[in-house]
Amino acid sequence: MQVYKAFFKVIQKNRGQILIYLVVFMVLALLLTNTYNPPQNTDFSKVKVNIAFINDDADSLLVDGLKTYLGENANLVDLPDEPQKLQDALFFREVEYILRVPAGFTEAMLSGQDVQLEKTTVPDSTSNIYMDLLINKYLNTAQTYTTYMPGLSQADLTQYVDKDLAEQSEVTMISNGSHSANAEKSGYYFNYLSYSMFAILILGVCSVMLVFNNTDLKRRNLCSPIRSANMNLQMILGNLSFAILTWLVLISASFIMYGSFMFTTTGLLLLLNSFVFTLAALSISYLIGNIVKSRGAMSAVANVFALGTSFISGVFVPQELLGDNVLTIASFTPTYWYIKANNEIAAAVSYNADNLQSIFTSMVLVLAFGVAVLGVTLVLIKQRRVEA
Amino acid sequence: MVINVKNLVKRYGDLIALDHFNLEVQEGEILGLLGPNGSGKTTAINCILSLLKYDKGTIEIYDQPMSPDAYDIKRNIGVVMQNVAVFDELTVYENIDYFCGLYVADKQTRKKLVAEAIDFVGLNDFTKFYPKKLSGGLLRRLNIACGIAHKPKLIILDEPTVAVDPQSRNNILEGILELNRQGATIIYTSHYMEEVEQIASRIAIMDKGKIIAMGTNEELKMMIKSGEHINLELLNPEHLDLTEIQALPHIISAEVTDHQLVVKSSRGKNNLIAILDHLKDQNITIGKIYSEPPTLNDVFLEITGKELRD
Repeated sequence: MQVYKAFFKVIQKNRGQILIYLVVFMVLALLLTNTYNPPQNTDFSKVKVNIAFINDDADSLLVDGLKTYLGENANLVDLPDEPQKLQDALFFREVEYILRVPAGFTEAMLSGQDVQLEKTTVPDSTSNIYMDLLINKYLNTAQTYTTYMPGLSQADLTQYVDKDLAEQSEVTMISNGSHSANAEKSGYYFNYLSYSMFAILILGVCSVMLVFNNTDLKRRNLCSPIRSANMNLQMILGNLSFAILTWLVLISASFIMYGSFMFTTTGLLLLLNSFVFTLAALSISYLIGNIVKSRGAMSAVANVFALGTSFISGVFVPQELLGDNVLTIASFTPTYWYIKANNEIAAAVSYNADNLQSIFTSMVLVLAFGVAVLGVTLVLIKQRRVEA
Repeated sequence: MVINVKNLVKRYGDLIALDHFNLEVQEGEILGLLGPNGSGKTTAINCILSLLKYDKGTIEIYDQPMSPDAYDIKRNIGVVMQNVAVFDELTVYENIDYFCGLYVADKQTRKKLVAEAIDFVGLNDFTKFYPKKLSGGLLRRLNIACGIAHKPKLIILDEPTVAVDPQSRNNILEGILELNRQGATIIYTSHYMEEVEQIASRIAIMDKGKIIAMGTNEELKMMIKSGEHINLELLNPEHLDLTEIQALPHIISAEVTDHQLVVKSSRGKNNLIAILDHLKDQNITIGKIYSEPPTLNDVFLEITGKELRD
């Protein structure tokens, strides 16, 4: 295992640069994830619309019934029946909807005629639609009774309508999960982890490959009786050990910050996803390590590749905010699929076949990237083994 | 036979680096491969070690065909490359241990071999040094230790003394002779004829990808017409007319450079009396007279018409 041992001695000599990335990431990740405040609870809450109700008809039980019903679902605001004041009230949003009951409304309703109410609203207001629905609901119910039960008294009619509209459907929540704040925070942490992981692996692997790919050393190694397959295997084992070590160090912070949460399904899926990404990042780093020729190029590639893929894949800016073209380009990098899976894991309240399939598909794609790139690298190494 | 190379041809595009190169190396000898820069020495070594593909020919080492996958053969070869090939990230001890470990798996045996190699090249005081802290000579010694630590039967040294000070060079040459005394067969390439003359039991002179002469030091010098060189230090050479000296029988050349008259004549016939008479006739005062035997440079010059160090 001479090559394997030499691998770690070379890494050790380059530990300074690697540790800078590690420490900077740890500090930044801790700061960013701990200062992040998840959005407040966005559960539904009912808001009542301010409306004005003006009755030009004679007072009747039906009009009172309508007014009472609307009063239960909206705030009735008293306004003088003057066009200027009504317009001002709309303009200054004292009310968003003015309903005018025309003269003869009760009689027309009871006799089954078409009735047209007048309304004045704030343009493009959602409350306009909401109020229309409420009013239509009341009138349609009343009209159904007058159509099928002619001669019904106003008192009975309003009683029946009130009773019907008081009916409410019972809603049962199918989902039994609860969304933890740790899920989102750890999601962010694991997103940031991809940048640091890429940078550290590229730097570490490249620094070793630069040494072993030095023409003189490579020739000297080729003179030895070690089979090239054996040498490649030791090299891959070294890379793998280094990657796993880096992964363990990076995830250790998540255990410190989120504790037992990391043993929940969400936590374990995040860990699995980050491990799969580590393998793909290692594979790409191995390819880069076999291509770059100098330390300057190594640092440049580490920064450009790690930062570039992180930016376009949604590490720093959420994927929802990135353009379609950017995401299309990003989808050719494993970082994109890693972040996608991370976001899905962090957002999931519970797990079912649908969201698990999507998450695992992303992981398989990340793994496929790794395998494909490793294949290309091994072919490259074999071709370079004996110079023509 | 240790190495048998037949009709080796290696081309780089239109350039023929090795032109039907033939070489036989016998067990226990030190073969000096001598030639000017670009003559094909390193290319030949790289082909022998299967580091380069070649266009034509066969290479056998210990009667087995050599190939990149001939691991059993490689186990018996020690290589000291022209460029120092060590890890800057490993100490002197770790470097020797690394390269020895490529050949010797057993840790205890390796420990002993590494200690012997360190002792052999005299790096005992530098075992914990990193290569960047070593001088050029010490670095070359480390390079040699890495190549010979596993005690190979065949050692190939490709210009191991380039850019080394004279004292370190002598140490290295003595070390190579010692390795040979311990039983190793050695191929030593160099463009320094003095080194090759000093250590090689047989010398092959290369030019333009071919071996143009081969034999012992004495055999090579016997191949040429030129005999000893007569060197005369002249105090007043300004009015010397060389025409009569150059016209003397058996004289190959006579040249004056910086008060020094060098006369080369055919082997065994130096015309010394006649030369002295001519100088006396021209009233030339002689400060000092001495003679030198022919060198390998003379051999090379006579065969190729150019200096070995061109």
